[in-house]
Parts: sequence; structure tokens; C-alpha cells
Amino acid sequence: MSDTQARLVKVFGAVFPELAEGEILHASPESVAGWDSLASATLLTVLEEEFGVDVAAEDVDELVSFERVLEYLRRRSAV
Amino acid sequence: MATPDSDPAPGPLTLAEALRIAAANPPASTAGAMHVALACGFTPLHLHTFLCAQLRLRRPERHVRIIGGLYDDLPGTLERCLRERVDAVVLVLEWADLDPRLGVRRLGGWSPSLAGEIVEHAAETLTRLERLVRGAAAASPVVVSLPTLPLPPLFSTPGWLSSAHELQLRAHVSAFGAAAASHARVRVIGTQAIEAVSPAADRFDVKSMLFSGFPYRTAHASRLAELLARAVDNPLPKKGLITDLDHTLWRGIAGEDGPAHVSWDLEHQSQAHGLYQQLLRALSEEGVFVGVASKNDPAVVDEVFARDDLVLTREHVFPLAVSWGSKAQAVSRVLEAWNVHADSVMFVDDSPIELAEVAAAHPAIDCVLFPAHDPRGIYDLLLRLRDLFGRAVVSEDDRIRVASLRHRDAEAPASLDATDGYSEAVLERAQAELTLDFHLDAGDARALELVNKTNQFNLNGRRYTEREWAEHLSDRRAFLLTASYRDRFGPLGKVAVLAGRVEDANVHVDTWVMSCRAFARRIEHQCLKALIGRFAAPAITFGYRETPRNGPMTQTLRDLLGEAPEGNAALTAERFASVCPSLPHRVTVKDERSDERYAGAAR
Repeated sequence: MSDTQARLVKVFGAVFPELAEGEILHASPESVAGWDSLASATLLTVLEEEFGVDVAAEDVDELVSFERVLEYLRRRSAV
Repeated sequence: MATPDSDPAPGPLTLAEALRIAAANPPASTAGAMHVALACGFTPLHLHTFLCAQLRLRRPERHVRIIGGLYDDLPGTLERCLRERVDAVVLVLEWADLDPRLGVRRLGGWSPSLAGEIVEHAAETLTRLERLVRGAAAASPVVVSLPTLPLPPLFSTPGWLSSAHELQLRAHVSAFGAAAASHARVRVIGTQAIEAVSPAADRFDVKSMLFSGFPYRTAHASRLAELLARAVDNPLPKKGLITDLDHTLWRGIAGEDGPAHVSWDLEHQSQAHGLYQQLLRALSEEGVFVGVASKNDPAVVDEVFARDDLVLTREHVFPLAVSWGSKAQAVSRVLEAWNVHADSVMFVDDSPIELAEVAAAHPAIDCVLFPAHDPRGIYDLLLRLRDLFGRAVVSEDDRIRVASLRHRDAEAPASLDATDGYSEAVLERAQAELTLDFHLDAGDARALELVNKTNQFNLNGRRYTEREWAEHLSDRRAFLLTASYRDRFGPLGKVAVLAGRVEDANVHVDTWVMSCRAFARRIEHQCLKALIGRFAAPAITFGYRETPRNGPMTQTLRDLLGEAPEGNAALTAERFASVCPSLPHRVTVKDERSDERYAGAAR
């Protein structure tokens, strides 16, 4: 597991404390009951905090699963 | 109960940290769960999380439940709070709550022609909110945060100038805050406190506000939540301050420079000592014990205290423990005279060695260096003292505390301790008057304060939040008896509280406290006599539990029962009559309750 992925797991763990690590790797609004709009806002803020990135408003809709967030972070290469 | 505190946490929590702390909440079934209603017009989102985390940090043993309202319905949320009893209502106001055009999520217009209308509408909203806050405060304590965010650029003036409309708007908010703060159960967050920890320019998160309706940057939300949690927790102020004299209360050494040459004024570059005196005097007048521990010649110190330019005069200080003995001994004498525990006391001295000596002898005392040659350091100390000793409301009981302590000392034999008593002759000479009041007023703040801060004469050490106290007294079997005392030396105020349950003539006392100022006056006997008489009780049981500090209560029960007390100790009316000493007080019994309430009790 890369450093970015490990840190992202921690971020998801803080926002969705009920998820086991194995579930986090496949987390999406469809698989996580508590992933609503408020959870999305919380996830966004913790992501920005943890990775020091400023997510543009037009990118927010892209961050809809653990995998997509990881891809986004790698693309940003801000980590 | 929480201890007083003044220093903010080293840094704000991150949201991830707050989420983890909030998630570690003990189960909801845990005894003493804390229920807090959070009322705000914006999406509470991270403020909800930070508030939960900060409350958990302060009270890790308690389950914390934050009850939120609907987004954009602040009045509706407050109205719901009127119907629900909680430990506290937290009202967080922002400009958009006063008029949506003062926010960024509505496009109602920023035309110059609308400015007056916006201000007028904001004033109307504040009037309505004030009514709701007063209503909510009748049921629960209310914590209010006035707007913390910068105003949007709607007024015609450039940002470095204030327009008349902006100042009018701020004046309305100030008037609302002043009206709210005048209510005994409303606590308004200090504007200076939030300014000190959260720079104004770093508070607003416009992206978050537009995206999710949450207006704060996380650092600001964390800092604000920390202050809100402190206000909800409402830590008890410290009770007493013991100060050194030379180079502390004044500049100079009285014994060497001479009583006429020590100073505390601008002329001698010693004004900071005068400010220190000024604050100690204010604290004394607010009910804080201020005592002196000094290595000095008592006659010389008396000469300084005879100077008419001293700001902290002799009447504000008790006792003066002045001798050539050790500081630790002097502090012991002061603590003995006050009869308070060391952990509610601060000792201030300019000498690190003296502080170390006192700290070694009295580890629970908060020993603080007086930075005699650093005016900025002295000023910071004044701010710290205000935080540690400050109280939202100064009651009549607070105002008379120091005078009554001095009178008690004047009358007491030198060897009197908590379980000895004054002689009958002394009590008769004192012309003691006792008012015993049976009522069930959960809003009697002094009664709850006594229950929550008394350690020595305390049946079991149980503390109550305002919500728990109100629930305790709302039971149909509940009784509450308070005792107020005065004698020819002046009033002591409300000094004792008994509460419990009455069922089928069985009186069970689960709460019994008495101020240490009232020891040895046989007030406890009068209270039991009134209780037995009021309910025609053949016996009283006590929910006793030994605590590290309730030795005086244990001794009293031992004397009454003739044996060491245990849980649910029972005292029969017959036994009480046989051990009760003569009671020379003049007693007035008030009873506001109807007999129906005690339908199950024999009369």
C-alpha cells in the first residue's frame, strides 16, 4: 500500500469510523449507507486538511469513491 | 465538577482529530449523559463535530449528545428548545441569521437603498431572538455566540471605513448581547476571547459556505467550539488567592525602604502593582477570599495597610499571615482560616524559591510567579486571574462572603474546627437567626452552586448539572430544604441545602451540603429538626458515601448515629431528640408547597 493510499485510508477511517479497512478500499456512496451530502462535505474538508490540497468546486463531483479520490490525489501530485 | 481554566489548547483540533474524539463517545446509556442543543442558522456540520469533541475532551467520562435543528430555521430550533430540557442550549449567530441578505447564499440585493431596510429587519429579528433566548433560558442554560464572521461587502463604504448602517447593525447586536448577558442563565461568549485565538481574516470559508452551507474554516470552528464547550461546562471559579506583599502587592521592601516608600503608582514606575491591587480588591468584592502570606514584621505591614492611598485596603484582605516563619506555614494559616481546600486556591509570589517551598508543602495549590519587573507579564497575570476567578453573576451571597468569614473568625475560639461547636453562650450572644425554606425551585442557583462546590460537609459528593437538578426536583416525591443564616455580625446568606424523597412518611436524604462558613452553629441540627417536624417522620435515612474530603459530614453523622455511618444510614426521631443539643436560634420556616404534593406522606 502506497503512502498516499495509507493516508487516504486514515482519512476515510475518520469520516466513516464504522468501516473496516477492507471496506474502505471499495467505499462509495452506493456501498456506504452513511455517505450522504454531509459526509461528502466532511470528507472533502478532511482531505484538504490531510493532503494540503484545495479541491476546486468543479472537481467535487468526481470524488465519489475511495478509488476515484485516490486517482484524483495521484493526478494532482500534490502529495 | 470541572476545574477552572484559562489557557486555550495549544492549537486548534483538525477535523480528523475531532471526528476521532467524537466517535469515541461512551455508550448513550452511560450515567450522566450530556445533552446539548446546538441552534444555528447555517448547516452545523463541522461545528457539531468540534463541539462534540471539545465537550468530550472536557468530560471524557460522559456520553455527549448534540441535538441539532433544521438548516435555516434558527427561531424554529430555539422554539423546540423551549420544550426540551437539556444541559445547555448553544446559540451560534451569524449575520445571515439576522437578514439573509447579510449572507452569501441568497441574492436579495445589496443596493444602497436596501441598507436601512436590512438593518431594520436585523433589529426585528434580534428582538424576536431575545424573547426566544429568555424563554429557552427558563428551561436550560443558554450559551450565545454573537456573529464572528466579517460582514459581506454590501455597504457603500470601502472596507477600511465603517458606514453608519454597519455601525447601527453592530449596535443592535451589542444591545441584544447585553440584554442576553443580563439573564442569570445566559452566557455570552467573550468577543475578546475569540479574537485572541482566531484571527478575523481567517474565519470565513466562502467555498464551504457555497458548497455545503457551512461558513467556518476548520481552525475557527475548532476554536469557537472550544469556547462554547467551556461555557457549557461552566467551570467553577477558584475560591481564594494568597498573595505575597513586597515586590508583589507593592514595589519595594516595606521593612527596608520603609512603609511610606513602597509604591504602586505611575510616579514611581510601579503602576502595575496598583493594577494588581485593584483587581484583587474587585475579586474580594466579588466574594473571592484574598489573604496575605508574607515574611515581614507585622507592625511594618500594619503601617503600610494604614496608608490611605492603598487600593487593596485592609477590609478586603483576610487573613494577614505575616511573620518571620516560613511561607508554607503562613499559607497553612490562611487555608485554615478560610477552611477551603488547597486545590481551589492560588498563591502569588515574586520569589521562585518561596513558590517552590509552598508547592512542596501544598501540592494542590496553583503557585504562580509574580513577574515583578515585567509590566506586560503582570498584565497577562491579571487576565489569567480574571479567567480563573471570574463568575458570570455576582450574588448577594458572594458579596457578603469575606465579611462573614472575618466575623466568624472574630467569634471563633482559636481551636475551633469543623466538628467542634460554638458554646451556647456564644450562639446566644450572636442572636442567630435561621430561615428554613421548603420549596422546589430548580432555578435557585445558589442552592445548586452549594451542592456542586461543597466538599467537606457533603453527604456523598454527588454533583448535578442544571438539567439533572431540575429533573431530580421534578419528582413528585421530592423535597428541597434550604437554610439561610444571619446573626448580629451580619448575614451568611444561604448556607445549607437538603434534598431527597418522601414516601409514606419515609424521608430519604440524598443531598445534604453546608458551607464551611456555617460550621459549628448547629444549623445541621435545625435542618434535621425541621425535616422530622415537617414530614412527621419516624426516621430519616441518608444516602451517605465517604469521599476523600467529607470528613466533617462523616463526623456529624457519627455523632448523630452513635456509630460510623454507612450507606443508607438511618437516624430515628427518637435518637435525634436524645442527641440534639440546645438550639438557641430564632427560626422562621417557610413552606411554599401544597399538602397534596405529599399525599403519600404522613403529617
